[in-house]
Formats: sequence, structure tokens, C-alpha cells
Amino acid sequence: MTESERLERGYRRIVACYPRSFRRESEEEIVAVLMATAQPGQRRVSLAEYADLIRGALRMHRGPRLPRPLLVAVRLTYVGAAAELAVLTTLLMTLASLTSARIGSYPVISAAQWHAVLLGHLTAVAVGAPVLMALWAWMACANARGHPAGRVAFRVVHVIITLGVIAEVDPSLAQYGLGAAIAAAIMIQVQLAAIWLIFYPSADPLPYRPHRQLDAAQH
Amino acid sequence: MQEATFLILTALADGSQHGYGIIAQVGEISGGRVRLRAGTLYTALDRLRADGLIGVDREEIVDGRLRRYYRLTPAGRKLLAAEAARLHAHATAALTRLNLAGGVA
Repeated sequence: MTESERLERGYRRIVACYPRSFRRESEEEIVAVLMATAQPGQRRVSLAEYADLIRGALRMHRGPRLPRPLLVAVRLTYVGAAAELAVLTTLLMTLASLTSARIGSYPVISAAQWHAVLLGHLTAVAVGAPVLMALWAWMACANARGHPAGRVAFRVVHVIITLGVIAEVDPSLAQYGLGAAIAAAIMIQVQLAAIWLIFYPSADPLPYRPHRQLDAAQH
Repeated sequence: MQEATFLILTALADGSQHGYGIIAQVGEISGGRVRLRAGTLYTALDRLRADGLIGVDREEIVDGRLRRYYRLTPAGRKLLAAEAARLHAHATAALTRLNLAGGVA
């Protein structure tokens, strides 16, 4: 084995730490650059090169390969999900006082009935919040990868959000008055901001299409 | 914008470049002050592609090695122009104030 081959093997051993998707697409390219930038007569990977490559590998493992607007959109989605969790917690903690307040307003309906009605509403929120959160994250990823289902999902989610707006003005939540209105307004703003970011820039929502670009270049 | 990112975009401003070409251009633009390493370069290229600021122009095989050429996208060109104008304005303001304070040392 020549010195050059030994050096290349050393580089490849470190590049093996990179994510598989990166290696599949760029291993040959980065090894070519490493070999081109190696010092004449260099036999092994230098400490500085080693540190630089490991740092690069860690960064690529840490961050998803999403366009920045989509990354922000995903974070906003988590903020929205956290807000929904906060609302859910508030509802659970105040369920007893809410039930008694309802009984005061509508004495015809029993406490057990009111409890059942409110629990039904809470169950919908408890199931809906994680489902919506997962849907948003998936939608962001699907859009980033250029999957047409991402756009279809967007339409569906848009309808869900609209329905959510209607649900927020549900009279059963009127007990919370201004607080509920503010919480709902914040959540809707967050969701709308995420929608806008997912489709930014509107002219080219799928900027990262390396394989498509390569295909286009080759044909 | 980080300095390395600015220099990489600048290296691509007048035409497409492959990885080694970008490293060489960045060294030249910075007067040898910035020496990009492959790990740093490909982390930045990955991010810039994800942000839609650069794209792949073409590929070549030279001496059995893959060369992938990158180019600025219109969004990348626009961002670089805005960043260059911002830095230029800051530099001009700094030099003006230094002159007002008694000349550049």
C-alpha cells in the first residue's frame, strides 16, 4: 500500500463518522478535496484535519438537513404544541372549579353530566395536540424533501386550524374569558407563522433537491 | 453571517467552483488569512444548499476523482449583495469616525 493510499484510507475512516445520507452523496467528493489539500508527502491524517472532520460530522448528525425557514417552522410547531399542553394542563387543574361554575349556571344538568361533557372536550384536546404536533413535524420534513404529500397535508392542516379557531370560541370554554382568548390568539398566530415559513420562499419551497439537481445536470 | 459563509459565497460570485477551488479562492480573497478545511467547507456547503443559497452546477471526473461544481442561486446572490453592502456601510462608518477622531493610525 502506497503512502497516498494509506492517507486516503485514514480520511475515509473518519468520513465514515458522517451521516449515511451525506456519505452516499458526497464521500468521494470530500475525499478528493482532502487528498488535494494534503501536504506533499503527508502520510497520515493530521490532528487539525481529524478535529475539523469530527466537528463537521457532529454538526451534520446534530442538525436536520432542513431549510432554515422550515427549521423555524418546526420550532414554532413545538411552541404551538407546548402552548396546547399548557392549555390542557390548565383545563385539567381547574376541572373541578369549572364544573361547579357550570352547575351554578345550568342547575338542570347534573355535576356528573357536566364532568362528562368537559372530559370529552379535554380528551379531544389531549388526543389532538400530539397528533397535530406530529403532523406538523412530518409536514415540515415532507416539504423539505420535496414530497408532494407535504402540500396535500398542508391543505388538511389548514382546515384543522380553521376548525381549531372555531373550537376556541366554544361556549363551554367561556368560563376562561380573556385568558382563553389570548391563549387561542397566540396559538393561531404561531400556527399561521409556521404555515408562512413552510411556504417561504413561495416561488421555490423546495430549495434542497441535490439528487434532482444532479439528475438535471447529467441529462 | 459567519465569515466563512461570506467568503464561500464570495468565491462563487463570479462563477461555479468545485470544493478545492472554493478553498483556494477563499484563501486568495482573504489574503491567506482564512484557510478553510474540508470538514468546515462541507458543513457550510450542506447548510447553504439546504437554505437554497447555492446549488450544484455540474459534476466531472478528473484523474479518477469526483469534482462537483457549486454555483450561487439567485437567493444566494441577493443575500451576498445585501451582506456586502452592510459590511461596506459599517466599514465606511468606522473609517469616517476614525478620520474625524484624528486620522487612521
